[in-house]
Amino acid sequence: MRKLFSILAVAGLLLAACAEDDPTVGETGGAPTGTTGETAATGPTAPATAADCAAANADAFESAGVLTVGTGNPAFPPWWQGGQVDGSEFEFNEPSLGQGYEGAVVAEVTARLGFSFPDQVTFVPLGFNKSFAPGPKDFDFVLQQISYLPERDEAVDFSESYYDVNQALVSTKGSPIAGATTIAELADATLGAPVGTTSLSVIEDVIQPSADPQVYDDLAGAVQDLKAGSIDGIVVDLPSAFFITAVQIPKGVVVGQFEAESQEYFAMAFETGSPLVECVNLALQEMKADGTLDVIHDEWLAGATNAPFLT
Amino acid sequence: MSGPPPDVYPYQPGDPRVPEGDRGSRILAPLRAEGARGVAIAIISSVVVFTAIVVVVVNSSGWPLIKESFFDPEVFAEAFPKILEKFWRNVFIFIVAELLVLVVAMIVAILRSLTGPVFFPLRVMAAAYTDLFRAIPTILVIALLGFGAPALQIKGVPDSDVFWAIVALVLVYSAYVAEVYRAGIESVHPSQVASARALGLSRRKTLRFVVLPQAVRRVIPPLLNDFIGLQKDSALIAFLGYVEGLRQAQIIQFENFDFTPYVALALIYIVITIPQARFVDWLVARDRRRRQVGAAL
Amino acid sequence: MTPDGDAALRIEGLHKSFDGLEVLKGIDLAVDEHEVVGLIGASGSGKSTLLRCVNLLEPIDRGRILIEGEEITARGVDVNRIRQRVGIVFQAFNLFPHMSVLRNVTLGPVEALGLSRDEAEARATELLERFGLSDKRREYPDRLSGGQQQRVAIVRALAMNPDVMLLDEVTSALDPELVAEVLNVIRGLAAAGMTMVIATHEMGFARDITNRVCFLDDGVILEQGPPDRIFTAPRHERTQRFLQGIIDAGRM
Repeated sequence: MRKLFSILAVAGLLLAACAEDDPTVGETGGAPTGTTGETAATGPTAPATAADCAAANADAFESAGVLTVGTGNPAFPPWWQGGQVDGSEFEFNEPSLGQGYEGAVVAEVTARLGFSFPDQVTFVPLGFNKSFAPGPKDFDFVLQQISYLPERDEAVDFSESYYDVNQALVSTKGSPIAGATTIAELADATLGAPVGTTSLSVIEDVIQPSADPQVYDDLAGAVQDLKAGSIDGIVVDLPSAFFITAVQIPKGVVVGQFEAESQEYFAMAFETGSPLVECVNLALQEMKADGTLDVIHDEWLAGATNAPFLT
Repeated sequence: MSGPPPDVYPYQPGDPRVPEGDRGSRILAPLRAEGARGVAIAIISSVVVFTAIVVVVVNSSGWPLIKESFFDPEVFAEAFPKILEKFWRNVFIFIVAELLVLVVAMIVAILRSLTGPVFFPLRVMAAAYTDLFRAIPTILVIALLGFGAPALQIKGVPDSDVFWAIVALVLVYSAYVAEVYRAGIESVHPSQVASARALGLSRRKTLRFVVLPQAVRRVIPPLLNDFIGLQKDSALIAFLGYVEGLRQAQIIQFENFDFTPYVALALIYIVITIPQARFVDWLVARDRRRRQVGAAL
Repeated sequence: MTPDGDAALRIEGLHKSFDGLEVLKGIDLAVDEHEVVGLIGASGSGKSTLLRCVNLLEPIDRGRILIEGEEITARGVDVNRIRQRVGIVFQAFNLFPHMSVLRNVTLGPVEALGLSRDEAEARATELLERFGLSDKRREYPDRLSGGQQQRVAIVRALAMNPDVMLLDEVTSALDPELVAEVLNVIRGLAAAGMTMVIATHEMGFARDITNRVCFLDDGVILEQGPPDRIFTAPRHERTQRFLQGIIDAGRM
């Protein structure tokens, strides 16, 4: 009898814990109740500018009056530049300097949303996994060279493209594939790519070499193996390809770039259902229309486009 | 008088010991001994507890999100076969590594247990080896060997990720397993050694026929522990770029922004680990049953 | 005992210390072939140590031990070979629990003496039969009673054909009803002419089968002589006190 009683007591405790559910948790950035009563995309008057949109959705921001942006740590060039700043968590480069391609894009988007950069922006270092972990996010959006993929779209909401990216092949001088001009010449090569990048699908679907691809935690491992001669080439996005041949691999060459069936692009990732997607899209559209995005490209990625296409 | 000593204390219900001859597991046997009422209570309490847990989890506010991100059937269907295919690479690595570890660790343990001043340098080297490789994180050993050795570009030095990962795992795990063996060796009663030496057996034969057979039998459960750890650590070869089970799961995870592939991998690990644990339980029980009275205790 | 020392076992001036504490303070003892010597004394008097020294399980600090004239404590002696000639049975934990009784008995002959498996098994089977244990030969030691285990231990030592048998309180750890079967085995050995040194608390038994009893006290043989005299008319006061203690405890 005593045993039965203690079992029931335990079960009762568990059920009680169940009832303590906080009913307010679980609303993930739902429709804000702004003073104007307007909601973002379904209101009678769609906002005309990014700033209007941001104002209309002031409640949707993670932290009121501030734009919270997540990005990877370390912050790699050429996406972020300017060097480290003491006292900051970020390594390699400091995002709040607004330098580098992604840095400049964020600075510009911030301004168009009506915030002042960098005072009204908080940067949050994020592991790649955290970008798309389920549940409420502690950032407004994240950008770290994340490519749009339809499967990914189910877990997060994506903005429009802020960079149309092509994949490229990096090798070393003297490698048998250094002078390749066609994909067929890569058939016997051992190629590597960092994990989580679309570079891997280029190897598997486009190049289709006979040897299994090597997949690394990050670019560092791939670069190491390339230098040691363990792999013949690395597939990586074009700007990063130029960066590593310029800086990290003295004998490195960019062999060429690949054309994809559908243009791959980098986009910001938001929590599903976030009304801020539209605001940022408006900002990006403005930047494309008035040429600002091209200026940013020329400033930070100049020289990162000239590579022959491998066919 | 012959025959085993009488069981002086007759069995009572509730007694943690089990009547001789009942060869059931430790968990189930006392239950059987309690009779039908005990079984009924056990079933009811299990149902209540597990139902309560499930109810709490499923009704929590975050559950639908978790279900989508961790238990997505479509992603599972895509991920499982691909991960399983790459998982065979892990199997190859940890089986080869474990066989080598069992041998290398035994050698190290024996070197450490040698007595006599002439063996001092061997003892010291063996001790230094176990200290060093238990200290250095496994991933570092893999990185140093897997990236460093090929980078030296010395002729004859293999370039294969699999080769260096196995070498690294063997070096690290032999250090741990050597200590397990050593504990087993030291747990053999010194009178056993005295009895064997008294018969005129050499030190080597004493070790071989009397000490090691007893020592190894005693440490089979902790050996399995380390082997299971090795099976997980086989994933570290991914650091070198080699695509094995966990890396494959990660690739699919990043393609889909979904964690379900890891659940698929976890399932694979569970399916292979549980039989190993039961097998060792059976081995130990069989050995005890053969040798002792009251083995079910 | 022949004058030029052809005793089966001779111990001269044996000193042994553990961690600075001297346990054996100069033991002199000679045992003839076929002689059965009993060692009695309080715990800690050094009986076990003495026997372990004879078997070279303990290194000695000073003195000599000779077996049939061969000095076994000399430098460069093959320890294993010596041990094959001296059989010893301890109080407990003798047998190898992971081997059957038969294998326990054949291990020494096969691996130390170099006999073939068949020869060793033949010898073992014969011995086990002689001591009434042949139905246990496939059993594992833990399935045997304490008395059976000790009998097997004695058989195992006998299988090596030793020149001398040393028995270190082999019945002290046994339940009383199991002691008799072991003592009977030892009785049989004595009757068959085995040279033995027996450390024991079983005074009645000692009185029956030993040719000579040595009383070990605080590291020296205080008194030795025929059992009848020692037990009925001990000369030393300490011997008397020891024996009185045994009588009072009802063990004689």
